[in-house]
Amino acid sequence: MATNPVTQETYHDKVVTGLVIFSIFWSVLGMAAGVWVAAELLWPELDFGQEWLSYGRLRTLHTNAVIFGFGVSALMGTAFCSVQRTSHVPLFAPGLAWFCFVCWQLGVLAGGISLLAGWNASKEYAELEWPFDIAITVIWVCFAIVFFGTIAKRRIKPIYVSNWFYGGLIIVIAMLHIVNSLAIPVTFYKSYSLFAGAQDAIVQWWYGHNAVGFLLTGGFLGMLYYFLPKQADQPIWSYRLSIVAFWAFTYSYIWAGPHHLHYNAVPDWVQSLGMVMSLVLLAPSWATMVNGIMTVSGAWRKLKTDPALKFIVLALAFYGLATFEGPMMAIKSVNVVSHFTDWTIGHVHSGALGWNAMITFGTFYFLVPRLAGTELYSTKLANVHFWLAMGGTMLYILAMWGAGVSQGLLWLSLDELGELSFSFKDIMASMAPYYALRFVAGVIFLAGGVLLAYNLLMTIRGRETVRVQPPAVTA
Amino acid sequence: MTYFIFAGDMLVMLFMCVLVVWVYWRTSDETIDASASIPLEDEKTDG
Repeated sequence: MATNPVTQETYHDKVVTGLVIFSIFWSVLGMAAGVWVAAELLWPELDFGQEWLSYGRLRTLHTNAVIFGFGVSALMGTAFCSVQRTSHVPLFAPGLAWFCFVCWQLGVLAGGISLLAGWNASKEYAELEWPFDIAITVIWVCFAIVFFGTIAKRRIKPIYVSNWFYGGLIIVIAMLHIVNSLAIPVTFYKSYSLFAGAQDAIVQWWYGHNAVGFLLTGGFLGMLYYFLPKQADQPIWSYRLSIVAFWAFTYSYIWAGPHHLHYNAVPDWVQSLGMVMSLVLLAPSWATMVNGIMTVSGAWRKLKTDPALKFIVLALAFYGLATFEGPMMAIKSVNVVSHFTDWTIGHVHSGALGWNAMITFGTFYFLVPRLAGTELYSTKLANVHFWLAMGGTMLYILAMWGAGVSQGLLWLSLDELGELSFSFKDIMASMAPYYALRFVAGVIFLAGGVLLAYNLLMTIRGRETVRVQPPAVTA
Repeated sequence: MTYFIFAGDMLVMLFMCVLVVWVYWRTSDETIDASASIPLEDEKTDG
């Protein structure tokens, strides 16, 4: 044990508060865009003949707003919050942290407008054009400097497991983003990928799946490993297992991308390798889920009164579901049915709504009152939000499972002459009831998000971020 | 190619086995407990 120098230094939490507020803003805006495009699938005239309101542009705005606006702002905020606390020092280069915060929000705003204007690099989850790619790289490097600089000046010897996950997020996303964005600019708003054909597809899904892995899974696992022990008020059930799971996760995930390209024009062995590595991923994923559930096992009583913990436990359940479903869908014989169907959309949303959004909501319900030094404005509203979020997610997944499995089986169906039994048009027309259910599910989930925004903004209204000092004694 | 995939899979398993053994041998229970408790003792409390 060592005693920290007597100092008045405090953690830099104002930038954390700012990132949390904007994360909430982007979540509502991004989810609203998602609900709108779900409605357009039922009522196409909702684009009012405007190009910027067309499905293709608005859907891209939806994914970018929720991933980069809501998700990355939440990850940046919670990383800044936890890295200084687990290092027992304030942030390194706090001015650079503010630069990251301000520039990231401006980037998401300008990027969203560019997508509505039709600028598009034609790469899924990497649609922003080359000027934005350069800006993202600069901001990400600054994020890395703040994060790793804080770890470098830490007063505590161990690097806590959440920082391993956040660090993995920062390093791997930088690598993926730079390689996948390599392009030849033609004009200020149009570029063409440096890669072509099958190579372009492989690089794109190396990026795409590992963005899911290291941002939407690894980054949020960093959030889980820091905020779950805080909420349950007890340490992680098995710290050793968490370290093993981190390395297993990191080692296996990077190979899994080609499962997005089953039955496409890439070598068969690449597809099979993607399938095998996806199945291997089950082990670290479920190890983490078990570790999380066992951590809560001594604090089940808190579930009755603590809405934040409810969200986190539900997030763990959906994490287990999504990380089981993913490897199953990567099996080539299952993928025959699931590929190009709405089953994939259901799988993505069981992860995005059930895991990413739930864990973030739980973390915000815990974190925001502490940042403001007060109690949550309304526990009742948070409980209503919990049931809306769970109901909306379940309905969404069931609707997309129904739609996806129906599509897959109907597309494969042949008559006695070996001809297709059903036309593509007829099959899509029969999807309307499922799409209506999906729209209702989206409205329910969005309503919960609006409640969260109102509840948390009322919690911090008129309050300054409290100043918190590092502990006096360091292990 | 099947052999390649099998060999790759076995290498992953080998890596994980070595990692598990290393993590268990390298660290004492005290170190692990102290590391696991970091989030619970990371803010100055009055009194």
